[in-house]
Amino acid sequence: MSISLFGIAEKNLRRKYFRSIAIALSVAVVAGTLFSVTTVMESVELSLKRGTARLGADLMVVPTEYEQKARAALLAGEPTTFFMDRDFLRRVRNVKGVKVAAPQLFLESANYACCDVAEARLIGFDPDVDFTIAPWVKQKLDRPLGPTEILIGREVSYDVGGAMTFYGQEFTIAGYLEMTGMKFLDNSVFLPLDTAMRMARESSSKAQTTLAVTEEQISTILVQIDPKFSPEQVAIYIEHDIDGVKAVVSEQVISSVRKQLFVLLRSILVVSVILWVMALLMIGVIFSMIVNERQREVGLLRAMGARRGAVFRLIMYEASTLSILGGMIGIAAGGGSLYALRNVIRTSLNVPYLWPEAGQFAGIILLCLFLAFLTGIVAALYPAFRSSRMEPYAAIRKGE
Amino acid sequence: MIEVRNISKTYQAGGQSVHAVNSANLHIEKGEFLSIVGHSGSGKTTLLSLMGGLTRPDSGTVVIDGVDLWRIDDNELSGFRNRKINFIYQFASLIPTLTSLENVMLPSAFGNWSGNTEERARELLGLVGLSDKLNSYPSELSGGQQRRVAIARAFINEPEVLLADEPTGDLDEDTEGEIFDLFKRFNEEKGLTFVLVTHSRELAGRTKRQVRMTNGILSEN
Repeated sequence: MSISLFGIAEKNLRRKYFRSIAIALSVAVVAGTLFSVTTVMESVELSLKRGTARLGADLMVVPTEYEQKARAALLAGEPTTFFMDRDFLRRVRNVKGVKVAAPQLFLESANYACCDVAEARLIGFDPDVDFTIAPWVKQKLDRPLGPTEILIGREVSYDVGGAMTFYGQEFTIAGYLEMTGMKFLDNSVFLPLDTAMRMARESSSKAQTTLAVTEEQISTILVQIDPKFSPEQVAIYIEHDIDGVKAVVSEQVISSVRKQLFVLLRSILVVSVILWVMALLMIGVIFSMIVNERQREVGLLRAMGARRGAVFRLIMYEASTLSILGGMIGIAAGGGSLYALRNVIRTSLNVPYLWPEAGQFAGIILLCLFLAFLTGIVAALYPAFRSSRMEPYAAIRKGE
Repeated sequence: MIEVRNISKTYQAGGQSVHAVNSANLHIEKGEFLSIVGHSGSGKTTLLSLMGGLTRPDSGTVVIDGVDLWRIDDNELSGFRNRKINFIYQFASLIPTLTSLENVMLPSAFGNWSGNTEERARELLGLVGLSDKLNSYPSELSGGQQRRVAIARAFINEPEVLLADEPTGDLDEDTEGEIFDLFKRFNEEKGLTFVLVTHSRELAGRTKRQVRMTNGILSEN
């Protein structure tokens, strides 16, 4: 058996159990709050980025009167249906700065037995020109979708190879898209435009309700721009050249959401930082009191041959052990709460939400642990320094 | 072995200067067993602290084994204390969060010691009659038992100099006698230089040499 500085620190913490727990919990509250807020912010950011990347479009052209609905569909994934004339597609393709324009058709399944899932969003896409879904098909399936095949978003709870019926037509699920955190994509069913049109035509005989859409109708035009132009420029050109449409810049939609949400989350972050400062001060005061209380003990250790550095390290060991422990408790509690409340968070935020990747998660955890560690170090720094500088005899007498 | 030359120490108390030690001179040979007697407040404890390098004198020098304590830096002085000096205090001087065994072993945490410190600590606790209290915390010991643990600790580093301030204060007569015999044994067998502060004339009389402290002034008895 031997005795070490760290062993002495550990014993000090164990014997003053309740005080140690109180200090650790103070740090835990701060670490847990910071961890939770940072994780939510990163989750939303990741989801917005991935969703925008998956969307692929720089612009989304919609009928003017449906602009808000389109934004709501994009962000909150609210099922919505609107149409415009297919001729707009030709006109958009002729606008300066437009590199590729691909149509999409938004349909909603019926609340009848002819559809397996009521009020599901069905998105028809043109496999020949589409640049959001089609590349995925090419990459993953390595063949075109068959006339009765569909793709599903990650949140649609059906299996690949299974069957889904819409408007009396049975479709086979050929695959699913990766999770994006955007309900617009994750909760949708994708099928080629031809397949969608055929389903609409045959709905009058096969389904309880007729899907009222014609070959000349589309819902939106997704646009990729020429890199020589900015999305905002091309949006202006489109709205100038074509009446009755609105060109929604994807990045702007995302960034406005990001701004609103981040104002909220930033406020919470500011509160967390204030909490951190208060915890720092409180722990600093507690450690000053602890060091004062143990001044005689410090004098005795110095008399036994403990150097100033050893005394300093002893107090810092105690502070950093408590703060790391508190950090771990806080992160575990924060993570557990986020997991337990994940559906509530997603619903209440009403924006894309995706858990950070493993690497990001690890980064957030390490950051919060480091901040927790720093809390103990900074709080105990002055008391530890002051204590180590005192003359042994003065310290021993101080405890009288 | 210990040379104290013109050493002085003054404290400020209540706006007044208190000359705790006033130009003290003392020469102690290696292996001597010396007692310093005097009334409470005469400066005995302060003199002991000056000799042990626990407080810096306002003037004068303390040289132990050729080493001027206040010419070396704090780290060297700490190391010097760890290897060569030990203390027994007037008060209960145990660390409350450590067991008796750990308290006795404690000085080993601050130096590079060879040998089996734990075994030595057990032996010392046996010598002071506390073999059955190795894992007890100070709160579980009587005042006298705590004092005995502190005495055991005083010998753990096999010091060359032991500075003891009223070491047998809490002990009954029989135990006091046993402990004093232990001191004498270490002094005679190991050549330990022993400086004992006491207000007890009887205890002082059992040492080979006595000096007196009166209002900060040291004189031979």
